[in-house]
Amino acid sequence: MNLIGLHTFVAKEISRFLRVFIQSLVSPWINAFLYIFIFGVVVGTRIDTIAGVKYIDFVLPGILMMNLISASFSQSSSSLYFQRFARHIEEILVSPLSYVEMVVGYVVGALARALVVGIGVYVIAIIFSAATMAHVLLFLFYSIAISIMFALVGLIIGLWADNFEQLFIFNTFVITPLIFLGGMFNSVTMLPENIQTIARLNPFFYFVDGLRYSMIGIRESNPWVGFGIIVILLVSLLIIVWILFKRGWRIRT
Amino acid sequence: MSSLRGDSVEPGRIGVLSLGFWNFYTVTMYALDVKNFSKCYDQTLAVDNISLEIPQGEFFGLLGRNGAGKSTLINCTTGISTPTSGVIEVFGNDVVTEYREARKKIGLCPQEFNVDIFASVEDILWYMGGFFGMKRDIRKKRSDALLAQLDLESHRQKEFRHLSGGLKRRVMIARAMIHDPELLILDEPTAGVDVELRHELWKYLRLINQQGKTIVFTSHYLEEVEHLCTRIAIINHGKIVALDTKENLMKNGDSLEKKYLEITKK
Repeated sequence: MNLIGLHTFVAKEISRFLRVFIQSLVSPWINAFLYIFIFGVVVGTRIDTIAGVKYIDFVLPGILMMNLISASFSQSSSSLYFQRFARHIEEILVSPLSYVEMVVGYVVGALARALVVGIGVYVIAIIFSAATMAHVLLFLFYSIAISIMFALVGLIIGLWADNFEQLFIFNTFVITPLIFLGGMFNSVTMLPENIQTIARLNPFFYFVDGLRYSMIGIRESNPWVGFGIIVILLVSLLIIVWILFKRGWRIRT
Repeated sequence: MSSLRGDSVEPGRIGVLSLGFWNFYTVTMYALDVKNFSKCYDQTLAVDNISLEIPQGEFFGLLGRNGAGKSTLINCTTGISTPTSGVIEVFGNDVVTEYREARKKIGLCPQEFNVDIFASVEDILWYMGGFFGMKRDIRKKRSDALLAQLDLESHRQKEFRHLSGGLKRRVMIARAMIHDPELLILDEPTAGVDVELRHELWKYLRLINQQGKTIVFTSHYLEEVEHLCTRIAIINHGKIVALDTKENLMKNGDSLEKKYLEITKK
């Protein structure tokens, strides 16, 4: 294994998002601050408790989840796409790094960005006395597993995209709607009964619900279902990405 | 008196060196050994069953018009592309099955600037050395030495995009050399470079060739190929149409350019 190569790869990925820290870190922190301020202070004080907790405590896991997903997805997809676009992925292709090391490098880089963003959001929540923690290990599992999952999704999109529009299309048309409809701001029980069934088919519902359970101890689904969905998706995505990189799909001609 | 005779001491093959009744078996490794290599892109056959052997220490010229197959051969040798069929070995290491060892021995200076244009010169060398598994102290020393040799010291902090064309070329060569490769592949390294820098580069390349580096050189400036290379292959429509020493190709007093045009027009 080329450990120095892998370490360099990760360091380069981290330096890439630190180089544009306003866009990669400050921007999501400002967004999170605004969400927490509006829902915690402005709207939240006028809303009665939801599922027995303050409204800001209820929505914070969703805000955190959205930022973790967005950070990891953006990092891996844009990094890979820009490297393909500017052809400096060839620097990596001619080096003695294996495709497994390449995948690990991209994923660890994306995970690092997601965690830095996530820690920042959590600190902002603490300032607003909104951060709670019911199950630390479960919280770490959900945060890390979902960041890795969307880093892998980002790699698939980064390989598939032929232009900038395609790069952002997935985030706009898939990630954002599904996370908003996945119970980020509301309890699924607030929805009409037939819509509730559809909502429960949305995997993002289980991601938000699982993270919410780990933070405030309240859940609307069986946590093992969420755990199972995450593990299945994670393994499936790993296999898909592994095959694509092994074949050099859209990387090696 | 003992006789000294060498039988078929050809690089890459087992030769016998007899010294009286003592027989010494010698194996000289090929820097690049291409056997029946073909490459198809969809339905297009870019390289058609070529074989080529480049001994260690040679300054080898690879000529051909645009799209002839030179860059395809280079890309498949370095890992940017994968061969459709055939075998390519670098110092005895298959570029597909033993890619780690093979790639450690190759330095590539490509035709285009395939580099992170926002990275500084220093960072470009630093990261590339890291990808090749070089330890930090060795990387630093090697990077400093190359920046000095290629007169890039005063530009080390500058972002690549702010450099002139000539400086960019030098950075590409430094990047190719960072891990001290045994085989240096230069794909049109002097394209768009002024005369002074071109001559400096020739001097530098000749020096490192004399130090033992094998160089594969492509260019559309035939006078520099004539000036630098000892053996030359001409690729046309994916096939090697000529492969000989510079002297043999030009034996009738023809210039390389005349010979090249004669061969490629056939």
